[in-house]
Amino acid sequence: MPPLIEARELSKRYGKHLALDRVSFSIESGRIVGLIGPNGAGKTSALRSLLGLTSYEGHLRVLGREPLRERTALMADACFIADVAVLPGWLRVDRAIDFVAGVHPKFRRERAKALLEKTQIRGSHRMRELSKGMKTQVHLALTMAIDAKLFVLDEPTLGLDLLARRSFYDALVNDYMDETRTILITTHQVEEVENLLTDLMFIDKGRIVLDCSLEDVAQRYAAVAVSGAGLDAARGLRPFYERRTLGKTVLYYENPDFARLGDFGEVLTPSVSDLFVAKLAGEAT
Amino acid sequence: MNNNTGWLIRREFWENRAIWLVPAVIAGLLVLAASFGNVQFGGFFHSDGSGEGVPEQLAMYALSGSVTVMFLIIMSVYSGWYLLDCLHADRKDRSILFWKSLPISDAATVLTKLLVGLLIIPLVYFAIADLTVFLMALIFGLRTGLWASSGLWHPSLWLQTQGFWLYTILTLAAWYLPVAGWLMLISAWATRAVILWSVLPPLAIYIGERWMFGTHYFGSELLDRLGKGYAVRAFDVTVGGAGWTTDVIHKHGGDDSLTYPTSLWRLLDPVGFFGSPATWIGVAVGVALIYAAIELRSRRAEI
Repeated sequence: MPPLIEARELSKRYGKHLALDRVSFSIESGRIVGLIGPNGAGKTSALRSLLGLTSYEGHLRVLGREPLRERTALMADACFIADVAVLPGWLRVDRAIDFVAGVHPKFRRERAKALLEKTQIRGSHRMRELSKGMKTQVHLALTMAIDAKLFVLDEPTLGLDLLARRSFYDALVNDYMDETRTILITTHQVEEVENLLTDLMFIDKGRIVLDCSLEDVAQRYAAVAVSGAGLDAARGLRPFYERRTLGKTVLYYENPDFARLGDFGEVLTPSVSDLFVAKLAGEAT
Repeated sequence: MNNNTGWLIRREFWENRAIWLVPAVIAGLLVLAASFGNVQFGGFFHSDGSGEGVPEQLAMYALSGSVTVMFLIIMSVYSGWYLLDCLHADRKDRSILFWKSLPISDAATVLTKLLVGLLIIPLVYFAIADLTVFLMALIFGLRTGLWASSGLWHPSLWLQTQGFWLYTILTLAAWYLPVAGWLMLISAWATRAVILWSVLPPLAIYIGERWMFGTHYFGSELLDRLGKGYAVRAFDVTVGGAGWTTDVIHKHGGDDSLTYPTSLWRLLDPVGFFGSPATWIGVAVGVALIYAAIELRSRRAEI
């Protein structure tokens, strides 16, 4: 089976600025992929290209389709929340449900209603009367009621408080995710998503700097805290990043010789957050 | 025309309640004025016994004409604004990111908005104007005691005026298609100041042409399109000949003769309108501009 998303040499140019620089990756179905990078790294450009919202250069197939040319057909099987609070202020909640039910063949009205029944939101509310968190709940209910193969979320929790963020991700994982679906999330807040992802993609300055499943992280990446004498020898094994902490130096390695690394101290698998910092700071130096 | 079109049209009505609110308010004011205003009807109608006044038919023409034209003028301002705003507003409030997440093509979106701006809004205004004319005629009739007897209530007279206005709305839509296309293109393209952008380029071309070539073809074409060009092609108001009648109107100061068409349809000139190259050149330009607006729409997200 071909991958759900396949990008080869994908570029996005804004004038002279290269927001995406010949990026290649593929995403298989049934995964929860985090596309993580700092602001301005190219996350949104990548998503916009995948969703057919913008032109791009290079080869790109999403669910076997060419996004820009076939956006309408693509949106029958893929859905997205690009940023929070984009539901128009004049729209009433019940009419939003009616509208999506009217135009989307895979929308299940009962499911959207059931999701909203758990909240304080009434059908007669207009979006402008709702808080940011409530608006996100409406959007999520509308989107989760669609039987889509691919669900893309761009910074879905931006501007939400901790409680709203937590319930957002809980709903996503518990009520939505199953093996027939694939979720792609972009965020610059690693800590928020690291426990729910199956795959990691770090992006920085328009390039993918890490593309790895979470199961493989332990085999590919290692961190060792070294103090004093062993430091120079440990540096000889070519860490891609090092960080000083509590009198020790933590060195980060990609595809290291695990046996030799053990000589310098306890070999740890870096957390996603640590890996993110190490990778991005490492790239910068 | 599929199922989506119905939802897309409904959506426009949800978003732009002014489509029916503005004409409804105007209608209310006119009906109030007709009910309580100081109107002298003595001897107004030809048939009310005094032997003076105008034939009912002309009174109907005058009432329907003045009310409907007023509605259509306000409509054209509103509709122009609607077309200029319709592909811009959802980019500004970022809701385009929601609309584009649904399986609706950009062509369907743009064409629905064109349909609303060019035909549905005029039809809503006309329906409300027609109802206003009916209510005003009814109120005038009751207040002057002419209700039931007056020739105002002849169905053929109503059919005549309604047919006249429907012809007007259809031909207006065809004539103003390039203008609508231009407004939608600006709406799809501009990031801000849509009004300014819609006016500046034509103005620049006009000034540029005068300055560089000393000619004003573009300006004349533009004036013809926006000004009297429509009326001279769509209507034939040459007085006299078949379909025209002359009546003697009795007045206090003496008799007066009045020539008028026996039917408003006599004034329509569909052959002149649809036979005019300008109509079809306009349609072709309009189609090209709409196509460009769809292409732009498919590549634009929020501002």
